[in-house]
Amino acid sequence: MNQSALRIGIWVYLAIFFAYLLGPLAIMSVTAFNSSEFPRTTPWECLTFDWFVELFRDERILNGIKNSFIIGAGTVVLSVAMGLAAALMLTQIWPRLRATYYTVVIAPILIPGVVLGISTLVFWDRINRFLGLGPDSFLSNGIFLTVIGQSTFIASYCMLVLVARLQRYDMGQTEAALDLGATHAQAFRKVLLPFMRPAIASAAVLAFLASFENYNTTTFTFGQYPTLTIELAQKVRYGINPSISALALIIVLLTVFFALLHDATQRRRAMAAAARLGAPVTVREVAGGIRLPRVLSGNPAAVGLVIFLIGVITVVGTATAYSPAACIARVDAEKREAAERRIEDLRRQREEERERNFDGVFAPEKLTPDSGEDAGATDDNGSGFGNVFDPGNLQGEEEGATAPEDDADTSGFGNVFDPNTLTGD
Amino acid sequence: MPHFLKEFFNRNGTGMGLVMLGLVLFWTVGLIILPQLSMLDFSFRPNLPPPEYGGPKDVYTLENYRYLVFGPEGGSQDFNRVDLRVFYRTIIAALFVTLFNLVLCYPIAYYLGQSKTSKIRIFALMLIIPYWINEILRAFALRIIFGESGVINSALVGLGIFDVPFDFIRNDIALYAGLGYAYILLMIFPIYNVIESLDRNQIEAARDMGASWITIHRRVVIPYAKPGISSGCTMVFMLTAGALAAPQILGGPSSLWFTQLIYQQFNDNNDWPQGAAYAIVLLVTCILLVLAIMRLFKVNMGDMGK
Repeated sequence: MNQSALRIGIWVYLAIFFAYLLGPLAIMSVTAFNSSEFPRTTPWECLTFDWFVELFRDERILNGIKNSFIIGAGTVVLSVAMGLAAALMLTQIWPRLRATYYTVVIAPILIPGVVLGISTLVFWDRINRFLGLGPDSFLSNGIFLTVIGQSTFIASYCMLVLVARLQRYDMGQTEAALDLGATHAQAFRKVLLPFMRPAIASAAVLAFLASFENYNTTTFTFGQYPTLTIELAQKVRYGINPSISALALIIVLLTVFFALLHDATQRRRAMAAAARLGAPVTVREVAGGIRLPRVLSGNPAAVGLVIFLIGVITVVGTATAYSPAACIARVDAEKREAAERRIEDLRRQREEERERNFDGVFAPEKLTPDSGEDAGATDDNGSGFGNVFDPGNLQGEEEGATAPEDDADTSGFGNVFDPNTLTGD
Repeated sequence: MPHFLKEFFNRNGTGMGLVMLGLVLFWTVGLIILPQLSMLDFSFRPNLPPPEYGGPKDVYTLENYRYLVFGPEGGSQDFNRVDLRVFYRTIIAALFVTLFNLVLCYPIAYYLGQSKTSKIRIFALMLIIPYWINEILRAFALRIIFGESGVINSALVGLGIFDVPFDFIRNDIALYAGLGYAYILLMIFPIYNVIESLDRNQIEAARDMGASWITIHRRVVIPYAKPGISSGCTMVFMLTAGALAAPQILGGPSSLWFTQLIYQQFNDNNDWPQGAAYAIVLLVTCILLVLAIMRLFKVNMGDMGK
């Protein structure tokens, strides 16, 4: 009794935990398909794919992706090289220096990214000035600084990954190669490097992902070359729209896909290893690791992905059948109608107000053309100034500034002046 | 020392040895040590236009640090209340976020550490996937949810709990949720790694001898998991205190995070020495706090790397 209650408790807890972890991403992905100007799920307006189109038309995003790849490649090369050298050094450094050395190379993981960005910027700026180079020299180039700044801490990750593998390496192999007449470079290239290859691959992937999503360090060093993350941050901070959700959905799907692929290959490799040890696994089973049904049977995440893809396909199917443009036009028409009705109401109210007042010089609409709703709500104050001095009015404007989603609805004009409505027609 | 070097080159060959040594020195000295020292030095200098560098005005000064505590010279207030409050709030909030993450993640890490490996794969995937989504996008996702017309507000208003949408962003709830969300994985994995190696027989034995559920955790599991807990807490605390994206996206208009002040000094005020001084203050405070807490809970730096 008690045991089963505990079990239920654990599952409820796990459910809440993963809802917290995955829920936001799911909701964000859904908003990519809503035609609403602000990313949201309710009220659901129209199903649309325009945000994906808009995303791929966005020059800055595309440019950001390009810069991210250039910087990512540079960071991978530099951090893996430094991480490998540092890992090799760790195995043979003078024992008394070892603890200090380890602290120094691990420290960048704990130093806040902001601090790393600043120190990189300040230091290379000084070097640049010391060498008497101008402000457009290579050393103050955004790509160079970002690669350097990111590699400072990403190399630590790489080193940790590489050290774990290096610990299982038998130095006798290198010595044997040297005894057989190989040069040091040959021994490194033909003996050590092949052994380290899986770890180098993981370190490279890790380094690329860390570089791609880094914000704190890059934000100080990017100069003229904003990465995708920087562009996203700019967009999110100054007015958001669902094309960011569209990008997020693409990234989520890519991540899930590669995670599943990685999982499947690992599992296949584990089975192959088990087979080699003489475990009762037939060759067919090993080969079957990549067959689709097998992946699905052992992998609920894959099942989830397939269900999701089926969902996407149905959605696409219905979308082509019912034509999103018509729906958007209808919603726009509804909005415009509502706005016109509101303007009409407003005009009537103001006329009544004007009749009550002795003069129309300070007619409220001249002073506050777009605080219509508020004026309508407080028409009983009867002052000639409308509610220009109403504190709520000011606050309403501030709300609008911080929450751009309201623009479309609270402005008296609906979205008549929205360029999208024009193109929609 | 030459002996050590000679041995090193003998073992690796001159060419390979030079490449290795060069890379390691470039990283440790050129990328880690010198930039930090350079920033420290820079933080003690006045903010001068480039032509005046090295000139008579370029002297060491404590002005940048004084500014954080006392505010601008001849200012109306005795202390720089705004910046100090932001600093204080950042540290306290980062501590609370760390504690929140620990409380949230400990049961999960314990459960994962004690369950069978087949389940682990799926849970590990579900844990790692959100972590590889861009930090900005994760904050953006929370902003959609906590927004005025977001899912939570729609639900609350729809159920009639609130009449008007609650402003989660202005009340910093979104910020704390976002900071807690960002680094969950870094709390779970260290604790999970340690608990996984705990012999289940120890728990069985404690249970057989009549220990209650709480006693088992307090006397057996937590002492064993201490290195994992402390390294998880250290990482989450440092990253939260140094976070920039989540406060920029989820923070209310009036509430700042200390890193945002640093960012402003660099990008808006163009006062690099001041920004460097603030960064040094943040770094040193975080390190001291972590060391103090480690001393308090009697954990060694060496245990943490595990």
